[in-house]
Amino acid sequence: MNTGDGDFYRSLRFLVIDDQPAAREGLRICAQTMGAFAVDLSSGYQDAIARIRRAPPDVILCDYLLGNDRSGQQLLEELRRFDLLADEAVFIMVTAEQSYEQVVAAVELAPDDYIIKPFSPDRLKLRLDRTMRRKRFLEPLFVAKREQDFDRAERFVRDAIETEAGRNYRFELMRQEAEVALLKGDPAAAEAAFLAILETHPFPWARAGQARALLGQRRLAEARSIMDEVVADAPDYFGGHDLKADICLEMGDYAEGQRTLEAAAARTGRNYERKRRLADAALLNGDTETARQAMADVIRNDTMPGAVSIADHLMLVRSHVEAGDLLAAERVLAEITPQRLETASLDERASSLALRALMRPDTERERIAALRASWLAIPLCARSRVDIARAAFAIGDNELAVAMAAALFASDEIRRMFKIVRDLFEANDMAAAFRELQRKAALQRIASGADGPSV
Amino acid sequence: MHTVLDLISSGVHDAKNQLFLAESLLVRAEAEHGVALDEARYAIELAAQRLSRVLAAYRFERGIGRLSISIVPVSELLEEAALVNRRHCEHLGLTLDVDDHADELRAFDRELVLDILSNALQNASRFARARVLLSAQIEDGFLCLRVEDDGPGFAAAEMDEQSSPGIGLFVARVLALQHVREGRHGRVELRNGGILGGGVFELYLP
Repeated sequence: MNTGDGDFYRSLRFLVIDDQPAAREGLRICAQTMGAFAVDLSSGYQDAIARIRRAPPDVILCDYLLGNDRSGQQLLEELRRFDLLADEAVFIMVTAEQSYEQVVAAVELAPDDYIIKPFSPDRLKLRLDRTMRRKRFLEPLFVAKREQDFDRAERFVRDAIETEAGRNYRFELMRQEAEVALLKGDPAAAEAAFLAILETHPFPWARAGQARALLGQRRLAEARSIMDEVVADAPDYFGGHDLKADICLEMGDYAEGQRTLEAAAARTGRNYERKRRLADAALLNGDTETARQAMADVIRNDTMPGAVSIADHLMLVRSHVEAGDLLAAERVLAEITPQRLETASLDERASSLALRALMRPDTERERIAALRASWLAIPLCARSRVDIARAAFAIGDNELAVAMAAALFASDEIRRMFKIVRDLFEANDMAAAFRELQRKAALQRIASGADGPSV
Repeated sequence: MHTVLDLISSGVHDAKNQLFLAESLLVRAEAEHGVALDEARYAIELAAQRLSRVLAAYRFERGIGRLSISIVPVSELLEEAALVNRRHCEHLGLTLDVDDHADELRAFDRELVLDILSNALQNASRFARARVLLSAQIEDGFLCLRVEDDGPGFAAAEMDEQSSPGIGLFVARVLALQHVREGRHGRVELRNGGILGGGVFELYLP
């Protein structure tokens, strides 16, 4: 690829994103001077997403501060979350804000590069040329990952790291090696790869990577102690807060999980993915009011097309149910129409039927009776099992409730759900049955010699 | 509630945005009128660097400065530092050469190190007669980034670490010291002589 040729950038689609018209114009001049021809302009977050959906650009030049409490970093994370940006596309953050460096040095999801204003077109071109060369070099890896051929991805990384051309990309390749190992389901290999990176410098994203690898191996206490440090050392690395909270919830430390997410959510007001996490943690922690508010906010304000799902509505229903507000729960449940349910997953269908039965036990009793055999047979997510157990108690089918709880105990999922399930059993005068399940699970663990959940 | 730092940061941020706009307008004028306004653009970039430097100095002086470490190929660092300063050197009739003996990946704060090198290059260009040399090598495990010129060299008072330095040198020393690896800190050294016989600025990073 000859990026030195002015014509190279002529054939690429550029998108400049900045909420300030004058700054937008400045970036456009810069892009055109370095050879760009097709330069599209966007005034901010929502508009940029719409444009990128319509016509994915090859190069995005995005200001860090986008106004309305939105940042370029958030846009980048959203684009990745909805898979709107191919690995081959270039995303360069532009900022006059020196503090952005703190962010970019910490996060996993960094842009391809960032450049601090003011800069000349020559300098932008230098940075873009380098990014283009790197992307070109890594292209076979992008393709292999997209096709989920992780063995091929792994082979590419191992071979590339030995080549002369791969020398400048050694760290990028080590990082990819770790990520591919995680995708492959080999957390021990991922841990080794992250440790190799950490020998050079304790990067927050690499320590978080190590914690993810430990979480994958169920070494929760070690993962937790790493993330406690990361969150303290890099307070602007919000993905680090999310991961720490996740580990806390796995350990059954709901209060710290919620507190961690609350602190991060307060500083990223319009990150609705984090609000969802907060609702989940708050519900596990028994703080139904926070869960209700967070989910109501998500459903009302996450304006990204297709972002608000049936799962979100179900979370709000659960939050209302746990808060004892069945009227509100029923209202939200009514918004999930039979047509919407047709496209829903098995879990979502099971949950919405169970929650419906909870509101109207008498009219739904027969339907539940008909579904019970299949619910006992199929794998369901933990939330759905709790919904079914709750409905089962409401219709007097204690046996179904116990079976759902037993299924949770049989997997590691009981760690997260422990408090909710115990409270549910206690509220239905079934505390003894719950203790019996607990006892059996403990005996089972001893018999198998596994280091299972110690709840 | 705004702290003094918030106010200063926000002022610097606004000013740098304005300077970017000014530079872009000069770029457009160059294209429209076929003129070269390199020196005007260089002056704008120097002004922005000064602002950043003052802010960085304030942060580190207050003990709230933090480095943003990334892994950088040394060759890329040299290339970029030279790019920012080459036209200015040419304008002064100076040759700027780059010599990379390090050829490695190293962990440091890219933007701050670029700024320090740029400042050293600009300083060298003020005193050089004909040549400025930017080079990198590994010495005793340290990355040594060196800016040399063929001018009269530093005055004895400038090289005395006890004397009160200009803000550029002050920040360079503070930032060098922040780079720590295996208990070893970075440092700045000034001396005379070197390959070109003039001033030698050396930034050692662990």
